[in-house]
Amino acid sequence: MGNASILLIDNRKSLIQNIRKSFSEIDVKYTLFSAANEKEAWSMLDGSEKIIPIPKIILIDINSTNNKGLQFLNAIRNHTDLKSILVFVITDSKTDKNKVAALNLNIAGYIPMSFESQTLNSFMTVLNDYWNIIEFSSQK
Amino acid sequence: MKEEEDKCKQELVALKKEFEEFVYIVSHDIKSPMRAISNITTWIEEDLGAVENQEVIANLSLLKNRVNRMENMMNGLLELSRVDRFELEFYEVNISKMIANSIALFDTNSTIEFTLNSTLVNENCVTLGAKLQKVLMNLLDNAVRFHDKENRKVGVEVLETETDYEIKVSDNGPGIPEQAVSKIFSIFYTVNSKDVVDTTGAGLAISCKIMKLVGGKIKYTAGINNGSIFTLIWPKIIILKN
Amino acid sequence: MNQKLVNILLVEDDEVDVMNVKRAFSKNNIMNPLFVAGNGVEALEMLENQIIPLPKIIILDINMPKMNGIEFLKIMRENEKLKNISVFVMTTSNEDSDKINAYNLNVAGYILKPLSFEKFLTSVATLKNFWQLCEL
Repeated sequence: MGNASILLIDNRKSLIQNIRKSFSEIDVKYTLFSAANEKEAWSMLDGSEKIIPIPKIILIDINSTNNKGLQFLNAIRNHTDLKSILVFVITDSKTDKNKVAALNLNIAGYIPMSFESQTLNSFMTVLNDYWNIIEFSSQK
Repeated sequence: MKEEEDKCKQELVALKKEFEEFVYIVSHDIKSPMRAISNITTWIEEDLGAVENQEVIANLSLLKNRVNRMENMMNGLLELSRVDRFELEFYEVNISKMIANSIALFDTNSTIEFTLNSTLVNENCVTLGAKLQKVLMNLLDNAVRFHDKENRKVGVEVLETETDYEIKVSDNGPGIPEQAVSKIFSIFYTVNSKDVVDTTGAGLAISCKIMKLVGGKIKYTAGINNGSIFTLIWPKIIILKN
Repeated sequence: MNQKLVNILLVEDDEVDVMNVKRAFSKNNIMNPLFVAGNGVEALEMLENQIIPLPKIIILDINMPKMNGIEFLKIMRENEKLKNISVFVMTTSNEDSDKINAYNLNVAGYILKPLSFEKFLTSVATLKNFWQLCEL
């Protein structure tokens, strides 16, 4: 599990910073990559900026970017090499209009949370504990 | 003659396959009842509550310890059977960095002094990285585990020749008694009773099989002041059969 | 969050492992209704004929007689009514091929059954916290 990674997709710089800080504070063993939008993310998954090995986990707030998030998840699920990625939807939006659609795409979890740095660690700790009890394939 | 030879080869291939399947099935299917024994023991402990007879408690704990050992042995067996079937990806490795990273994983205990001596021109090598890492970890684990001194030292030295990397892992531990040297690469062999140092005795057998797979060598020599020296000859170019 | 207690279906053929999950649930105060199927065929029958209320979570063993976990998952994911259920694999199989197949069928997690009950308790506690975080 040496160089396994997580890809975080969000256009809010402060959010990415907060999550990065939280990762280091609770000592998450995965390398964190971030992308500002779905297009950038796609190039990191199957394009010029490809991350090797492919990230095991994606964190995304599908409520923050119109319908692009759902389209993106759809594209991942239809891609032979990407469809096995574990996707966690994390969102601070009250609306859950995309929830059912996301669950239908077999995301690993739909998680409403606050991205404030004071409360973020408690959410991330639960997630990290969970990542630590599950196994991933050793394949690249 | 040729026909007979072919027949022999075929039989050998079939036998090898059968053996691997056998080991796999045995170690896999035996795990379920083993886990049941372990779990039920814990439930009995819990349900008993406070017990006066201390022997009962001690025996239950022995029972769990032995099931645990059995699981480790099964895992060892499984791993041994998988050496030439899994993790066969070649990728670029920085040899010195890999050794340093491996040492770092053990270097959490301040009572051990690690040294790394590396003089490489070609630090990067496309090789079976996961396998090399495995052998290194096994040797380091042994050097750390079977230690009996106050100031424990573990040293790693890396040299290179035109064709190989030569990696020496040495320690100032108790060394291996002469009469045991020929047996240390056999699966489950341990120099001391497994009750003295809790170990499975699979690491060197697995390492030895890996070295055969890559066409390299592993050997043991006694250190000057006791201690052990394990030397790996890891070929720069690996050609896998099949 | 929505802590209406969702139904959980455990698909597991080993009697002791079923007891193990029940015990770990009760030790962790997990009160969700738990239904048990002994293999994939039985589970499908229970789900398709609505013998049990539709679960939001399935805990799935892989090595089972009649229909193994992977085969069950394949059929389940093709069924409109069942395909969005969260599946957590709980197995002794440490085979890469099983992990790859399971994640390709989008399980939410692949958990190895540990030897000791104490470790299993910790895993179940972690699962519980995770479930409480998620909206299902």
